Amino acid sequence: MNPSIDPVILGEAADWLVQLQSGSATEEDHRAIQLWQGRSAQHAQAWQRAEAILGDLRAVPGSIASETIKRMRRNQGIGRRQALNGLGLFLLAGPAVWLAYREVPWQAWTADQRTAIGEQRGFTLPDGTRLLINTGSSLNIAFSPRERRIKLLDGEVLITTAKDPSAAHRPFIVQTRHGTARALGTRFSVRVGETRSSVAVMEGAVEMLPDHGTQGVILKAGEQSAFGLSAIDPVLPLDTSAMTWENGMIVARNMRLSDLLAELGRYRPGVLRCHDAVADLTVSGAFSLRDTDASLRLLQDTLPITVSSHTRYWVVIEPR
Amino acid sequence: MSSVDRSLNLHIHNLYCEHHGWLHAWLDRKLGNTSDAADLAHDTFLRLLTRQARTLGAEPRALLTHIAKGLVIDRWRRQDVERAYLETIAHLPEPQVPSPETRWLILEALYRIDAMLSQMPDKTRQAFLMSQIDGMTYPQIAIELGVSLISVKRYMRDAFLACLSVAE
Repeated sequence: MNPSIDPVILGEAADWLVQLQSGSATEEDHRAIQLWQGRSAQHAQAWQRAEAILGDLRAVPGSIASETIKRMRRNQGIGRRQALNGLGLFLLAGPAVWLAYREVPWQAWTADQRTAIGEQRGFTLPDGTRLLINTGSSLNIAFSPRERRIKLLDGEVLITTAKDPSAAHRPFIVQTRHGTARALGTRFSVRVGETRSSVAVMEGAVEMLPDHGTQGVILKAGEQSAFGLSAIDPVLPLDTSAMTWENGMIVARNMRLSDLLAELGRYRPGVLRCHDAVADLTVSGAFSLRDTDASLRLLQDTLPITVSSHTRYWVVIEPR
Repeated sequence: MSSVDRSLNLHIHNLYCEHHGWLHAWLDRKLGNTSDAADLAHDTFLRLLTRQARTLGAEPRALLTHIAKGLVIDRWRRQDVERAYLETIAHLPEPQVPSPETRWLILEALYRIDAMLSQMPDKTRQAFLMSQIDGMTYPQIAIELGVSLISVKRYMRDAFLACLSVAE
């Protein structure tokens, strides 16, 4: 995820930041920084971190920043420190910043991608954006000087956008048969179904706009929703368990057996049937999507069900 | 899928069955809220799955507790940041209150800034806030803190280095 960067390079990045913020930075300095960050992938990553930091500092309006930060530090002084001690450890820093490669200068760029049933494929776009394409999906990638657009024809894709290295700051758009999801700097997934496209946002925000709709809705981090051709569903809290497919697992929490089987079924060819009598059993646990046979065996071991396979492609889950 | 992955996934499944109960109870005691505890217990297992390390070690219980503690602290800190923000905007005139759409952006930024600040020694943090939040120049900061310009630059360098090290 985040390969560590040489401390020497981080030190140089810090030097540049000091110079940039000194009020006496020149055009020359800016050019030198451009050259510096082009020296290696690690230099480029270090500078992306630097820009992310400056971005964070700029994101908070001046009227709010000073006061909020004072309150933040005060709140922490009291009580919290004892609470932390109570837990027996100190601060862990959380937020992750994506890494991106800038090896290839972007230009207009197109490609078609397709995954088989059970296959997941990762992919880095020329702008550094990471795609993880889920089982049974197909999409077209169309980058132009004005926008970065992905047409999701079938299935599901998880996207971690990188900041557009071009000066144009092209918008990043996922288009489905129902409408568009426009990224506002972010990590999110889009899944297209028969009548709806669903969007889940892990970081940043995404604007959903149905093709026949008049007004978009912005989903922020920790939210999910879906839209058809004209209407947008209510916004719900993100169901993070739905997102573990990235790691080849599904973590079920009081999930109906038939819903779990429907999910597992997406990752295996053939038919996976669930008998009505056991459909409403609830299941909790972690199940592999990469080895769905093993997951079925686990279910059989823990629930009053039997898994009968007539062939590898015709499997029925019945009461025991 | 390799057999290593397979046995690891089986192992994680077994861990879930064995450990979910006490973990939930432990979190419930820390948070005093069953549904938050259920969320974090769930997140703990998600985190276990998304870790880079592909081994679980000999002490899964210790590992789960370690992850859960991190999540509890994370949640507290987010609550602190959000509370500070809400208290601040409560005192602002209406036109200056950010729109709900930008609110998450600001909160996320504040949360990361908080993580950066917590890595800095006091003097460094003071200089950093004067420069980045109050918009003071380095010479102004030098006068305010009663130190040399070189010292201010050194504080700023330390501060940025702390930021860069946190922002991974």
